[in-house]
Amino acid sequence: MKIKIEHLTKRFGNFTAVDDFSTTFEDGELIALLGPSGCGKSTMLNMLSGILPVTEGKIYFDDDDVTDVSPDKRGVGLVFQNYALYPHMTVLQNICFPLEIQKMPKEERIAKAKEMAKLVHVDEFLDRKPGQLSGGQQQRVAIARALVKKPRLLLLDEPLSNLDARLRLEMREEIRRIQQETGITTVFVTHDQEEAMSISDHIVLMKLGVKQQYAEPQELYNDPANNFVADFLGNPPINKIFGVAKGGNFELEDGSASFPFELCSKVAEGTKVTLGIRAESAYPVATAEEAAFVGEVSSTYAMGKEELGYIKIGNQEFRAYIASELGYKKGDAINVGFKDRGVFLFVTETGERVR
Amino acid sequence: MALFKKKATNTNAEVDTFKSPNKLNIEPFLYLLPFIIGILIFTIYPIFNVLRYSFIEGLGHPLGKQLAERCTFILTDASAKGCDLTWGLGNFEYVLKDKYFWSALKNTFQYVLCVVPVSTCLAIIFAVLLNQKIKLRGLFQTVFFLPMVTSSIAVGICWKYLFNYNYGFINYLLNTFGIASVDWLGQASMNIWAVIIYGIWDIMPMTIILLLSGLQNIDEMYYTAAKVDGAKTLRIFFRITVPLLAPTIGLVMILNTISCFKVYSSIFPLFNGSAGITGKNLYTAVFYIYNQFFINSKYGRAAAAAVLLFFIIFAFTMFQKWFQNKVSN
Ligand SMILES: Nc1ncnc2c1ncn2[C@@H]1O[C@H](COP(=O)(O)OP(=O)(O)OP(=O)(O)O)[C@@H](O)[C@H]1O
Ligand SMILES: [Mg+2]
Repeated sequence: MKIKIEHLTKRFGNFTAVDDFSTTFEDGELIALLGPSGCGKSTMLNMLSGILPVTEGKIYFDDDDVTDVSPDKRGVGLVFQNYALYPHMTVLQNICFPLEIQKMPKEERIAKAKEMAKLVHVDEFLDRKPGQLSGGQQQRVAIARALVKKPRLLLLDEPLSNLDARLRLEMREEIRRIQQETGITTVFVTHDQEEAMSISDHIVLMKLGVKQQYAEPQELYNDPANNFVADFLGNPPINKIFGVAKGGNFELEDGSASFPFELCSKVAEGTKVTLGIRAESAYPVATAEEAAFVGEVSSTYAMGKEELGYIKIGNQEFRAYIASELGYKKGDAINVGFKDRGVFLFVTETGERVR
Repeated sequence: MALFKKKATNTNAEVDTFKSPNKLNIEPFLYLLPFIIGILIFTIYPIFNVLRYSFIEGLGHPLGKQLAERCTFILTDASAKGCDLTWGLGNFEYVLKDKYFWSALKNTFQYVLCVVPVSTCLAIIFAVLLNQKIKLRGLFQTVFFLPMVTSSIAVGICWKYLFNYNYGFINYLLNTFGIASVDWLGQASMNIWAVIIYGIWDIMPMTIILLLSGLQNIDEMYYTAAKVDGAKTLRIFFRITVPLLAPTIGLVMILNTISCFKVYSSIFPLFNGSAGITGKNLYTAVFYIYNQFFINSKYGRAAAAAVLLFFIIFAFTMFQKWFQNKVSN
């Protein structure tokens, strides 16, 4: 099912949790709602499920306007952060419950529930209570319960945040597998960029209730719309060098260094700009002619074949990978070249990308 | 003594308390002592004394029987004052053969078996309603808990008027539904029902408070989850609220059973003065004990009845717990 969101806004009193949000989620995709804590991810999800009424804007499921449709009529399956499995019911009863509400005959619903339990691999635990299951197993039961009524849209609110690191890796593959097997359009909330990058078809990145970018994971990384997006994605985090655009040159804030940088000519003279450089996009080159600028190695850390080094330019530092066989030591001058990819210029004040 | 010694060698006794966790430190017990003494004198000692009295059959005393009985009541060690005590099971035998004891028990059971289930069911409904996000919720909650803070004598007098044969509100209600007036307080066979109705009302606020606290412990997300799946109010109530509230319901029922078995003081204001007269229907187990003790001055029999009542309540509560465990599994 395709989901179209138009100018969606949610205000609590005079606080705006989601601000003029428009986007379209394609049918059958796994979409991650990504953003720091408090940016309005759960609020978005709850408006999609219908638990929260919207303040302004419209939500369409395919071509139906569901903005004012109650949650039970939207055909959404919801997985809560704490799973919300009914503690007094067995796994089977939990999965059956949505069908019981639909007054499906008992045998039929048990058959359906068992089938769903098999899909998420909890068919061994049908007679256990949720309290007797591990976090990962509870998680699967919650997904089974959300899927059993064949929802048109599956919503998961931070489904993995309660699990330990290992299980989290395992379960995110599981979610991907289940989503692909069922083909249900799925929106899941996370504040973990790696989680979002690894399993989703598209990512919506939010900040303070405002959509920053909606793109495929790799695009989000390679072509960030603004400083915030570039900052939020990537490990190690993107390097930032602060400076001023002067006559097509990038000059460090205190004037301690300056080098030509083409994009600097696209902004007004004297604009404060930030150079964002991914660690893998700056590399040592042989001659000063090829280099973007000449820096100084301030420290190196062995990291297997490559070394993660700190390079100093003027009085600012940034991280870069340096092949260890080149044998750079602390204090050496280094010619730093930029790759085409992974080097961005932003207007410091607005965070806007200069292209 | 250890405490004082320690104080002599250590300027800071408190530090010492934390330094030597293995040594028995009597200081905390000293702080508890006043409370422990109170409990010992006013709770523990009387309990054992009742048990002891229940086995004292007869007394011989140079000053005469009447005085001797008073002396066992007032002085703890009657034999030291020259009383000859005869020990035995005579008191139990008398009580168990006494038809008034059995009728008192019958009334008590009737009271318990009516008040506890009805008040619990009503309280669950009211608690769930009070737990809704409704307007004036605070006002409603206050109104429901008012009986708890109102003097029971004042409340009793109010109920006396509600039950009044000629101009009571309850009969007025019955009349509007075409039912003839009932002489709640005058007609002996109706007395117990008046007491039961009053008892249900009396026990509700406390029950509602306990259930409300249980309800507030149920996470909102269960309701949200059920609503997203399209569950309606009644299904949510029976399939989610009640099962999740079951532990609190069980607790409330046991507490209420115990307190209903001991029904006594709430009956007084309804019948001002004429309550608990032998042979009348509102005669309950505690009245039997009271009458044996204060009216008949048969302390042994009163004690024996009290011991029997204790075991009945104990057995009933145990049965209830067993039953609840069985149901919850
Ligand atoms: N009922 C409410 N009343 C007032 N403010 C609210 C309410 N619910 C959420 N908010 C505010 O809206 C903002 C977004 O909340 P939301 O729960 O959507 O954040 P989130 O992105 O899910 O964060 P997290 O990752 O911590 O779950 C927060 O600043 C929060 O304080
Ligand atoms: Mg959230």
